[in-house]
Amino acid sequence: MSAYSVSRRALLGAGAGMTAASLLGLRPAAAQQKDIRVFWWGSQERADRTNRAVDAFKKANSGIDAKTEFAGWSDYWPRLATRVAGRNAPDLIQMDYRYMFEYARRGAIVPLDQYLGSALKIEGFDKANLESCSVDGKLFGINLGVNSSCAVYDTAAWEAAGVEPLTFGTSWDEFSAKCAAFAKGNKRRRFYATMDASGHEPAFELWLVQHGKVLYTEAGQLGFDEKDAAGWFKLWADMRKSGGCVPADVQALDKSTLDTSTLTLGYAATAFPHSNQFVGLQQLNKAKLAITAVPVTAGGKPGQYLKPSQMWSVTSDSKSPDIAVKLANYSVVDPEGSKILGVERGVPASAAVRDLLSPTLDEVSRSVVDYIGKLGPYTAKLPPSPPKGAGEVFTVLERVSQEVGFGVSPEEGGKKFVTEAVSILKRG
Amino acid sequence: MATYAAEVAVSKRPAKAGRIGRFFFAGNGAGYMFLAPWLIGFLGLTLGPALASLYLSFTDYDLLQAPKFVGMDNYVRMATGDAKFAAAMKVTFLYVILSVPFKLMFALALAMAFNRGIKGLPFYRAVFYLPSLLGGSVAIAVLWRQLFAADGLINSILGVFGIDGPSWISNPNYSLYTLVVLSVWQFGSPMIIFLAGLRQIPQDMYEAANMDGASKARQFFRITLPLLTPVIFFNFVIQTIDAFKAFTPSFIISAGTGGPINSTLFYTLYLYQEAFGFFRMGYASALAWVLVLIIAVFTTFSFLSARYWVHYDE
Repeated sequence: MSAYSVSRRALLGAGAGMTAASLLGLRPAAAQQKDIRVFWWGSQERADRTNRAVDAFKKANSGIDAKTEFAGWSDYWPRLATRVAGRNAPDLIQMDYRYMFEYARRGAIVPLDQYLGSALKIEGFDKANLESCSVDGKLFGINLGVNSSCAVYDTAAWEAAGVEPLTFGTSWDEFSAKCAAFAKGNKRRRFYATMDASGHEPAFELWLVQHGKVLYTEAGQLGFDEKDAAGWFKLWADMRKSGGCVPADVQALDKSTLDTSTLTLGYAATAFPHSNQFVGLQQLNKAKLAITAVPVTAGGKPGQYLKPSQMWSVTSDSKSPDIAVKLANYSVVDPEGSKILGVERGVPASAAVRDLLSPTLDEVSRSVVDYIGKLGPYTAKLPPSPPKGAGEVFTVLERVSQEVGFGVSPEEGGKKFVTEAVSILKRG
Repeated sequence: MATYAAEVAVSKRPAKAGRIGRFFFAGNGAGYMFLAPWLIGFLGLTLGPALASLYLSFTDYDLLQAPKFVGMDNYVRMATGDAKFAAAMKVTFLYVILSVPFKLMFALALAMAFNRGIKGLPFYRAVFYLPSLLGGSVAIAVLWRQLFAADGLINSILGVFGIDGPSWISNPNYSLYTLVVLSVWQFGSPMIIFLAGLRQIPQDMYEAANMDGASKARQFFRITLPLLTPVIFFNFVIQTIDAFKAFTPSFIISAGTGGPINSTLFYTLYLYQEAFGFFRMGYASALAWVLVLIIAVFTTFSFLSARYWVHYDE
């Protein structure tokens, strides 16, 4: 905070100096600026690791100062957008696949191709990875880790219910049957085999891909129809009926954060988070958790995909993009920096870093790396980027799934969801 | 204006500006100097942004690109094609209509009890005021979530009697009522004002009524209520405006979603979502101005109605 408490005299001095400089036709010495600001979203665990990595970076590069700041996911985007609007964006920001296209196409972040091979030594990332961080053929993001959807379950709870938990290749039908069996074998009050994932977009998306559809087409239109949505809602309505998944009023307690997940709250034995969140989830749960693939559709296509869990981007407001790139490079390929970050943001994209990390990983982190390694046969290619308005469609999916949970028929829910989603996409 | 005032104060020169300048500054320099901190804040941090938002309400603005003028589009959309706006209006009006009367009744009842002069009154008064101090805080909203969740305290108590309660806070049939209860629970500030009002009522009126054999109920309706109407009016207006502006409880309890199924989607929360969730600053500004209008209309009607039921006894 001390950076903001400027004394009046200093302010006047700076003002006078700037005026004098502009009179003389000089520009402020921006090129020599050696301090950058770094901004990301995430948990306390992530903040601790990132701050340690930034400190190590500063120690290794004397004369460079980097100020860090972080926020939760939902606070992060308004704050970032406000600063971009005020032409005061931090230099190095954490970017998400969902927002990258918008920021890149509006010129809020800069292409990084010129640094490739020099300041940015990420040529070792595989091609698909670099493509997933590119917009219109230019690189705008530096991958901080690879993740995918996954299923996480409480091993002891499934054992106590006397049911074999899901694993790689379990189909949705088998999973439903397992959950129904769980309900019969379970003794705990208000406890169910799984969360209700009907309002959970990543799960819906991979189910669609398994059925040969997509959430959004290349042209930014909906890639599914009312019948598909109704089918998805029905799958979960049936599970609700069999007592396999949590009832609607319990699922509504889940606020899409790890600490309000029905698994963490103790209502469900299974959840469907992103694989990098396994580390954080295990930390919040006393029960021993295991990670495996999301169910498949019998006779269907692979539906999961590997995606950048997040990336670094450099803003166009940055006066020292080269330093920002240097720090980003330090955190993803430098042995020291990448070791501090570990796999908390996902499995590192660099094979060298993965090899370097693997002997140092604890059991929980290792299981995430193993999981991503085993996922090959279940993955499809990265879907097209979500269009403008996708964020709002997500909230509609959640709301309509709740309406179905509280009594609307799956068919009506499907119709409602598609109608509203189409009108949102039209508005943009 | 403030810098001008400063200049006048420092140089002691007569104002050079015309009539308006003389009206504002003639001999008032020192006054404006003292006022300056507030005035600068008001102009720079309240009035300026408010006017900017009035302009933005006629634009399409997503923060990343410059605002695009769209005329009345935002207002038209609100009036014709926005189901979520309608839902937010319904939730907000229901909340105002339920929470304000119950809160005022509760506050008045306790104020009357305290007015009897119980032992340890200052202590109880402080205790009962406490929820109002805490009520707007994040911690209480979190506490509420714990109380009314599926395995919360309320259901544990109901469980003792063999009742299997729903998850009140996350069930669209009940969630808004838990927020109403939260609001009623924060009766402290109207209670204190009622208590002050009750103290103003001359005791001899009650004595006279007693002598005439009027019952307690009759005394309440014929003496207490009429003489308290100015205070009731004040509390009513203030509490209603507050209720229209309620934000924190729903924001925390529903994690900003207004869910389940928009059942706790306060108007201000919808405004927030549009602005900071979906980056529609233009539309959100229009929403804000409509809320200003709603509150202004309501307050005007309250004042117009006051002449028929508020007795200013002197």
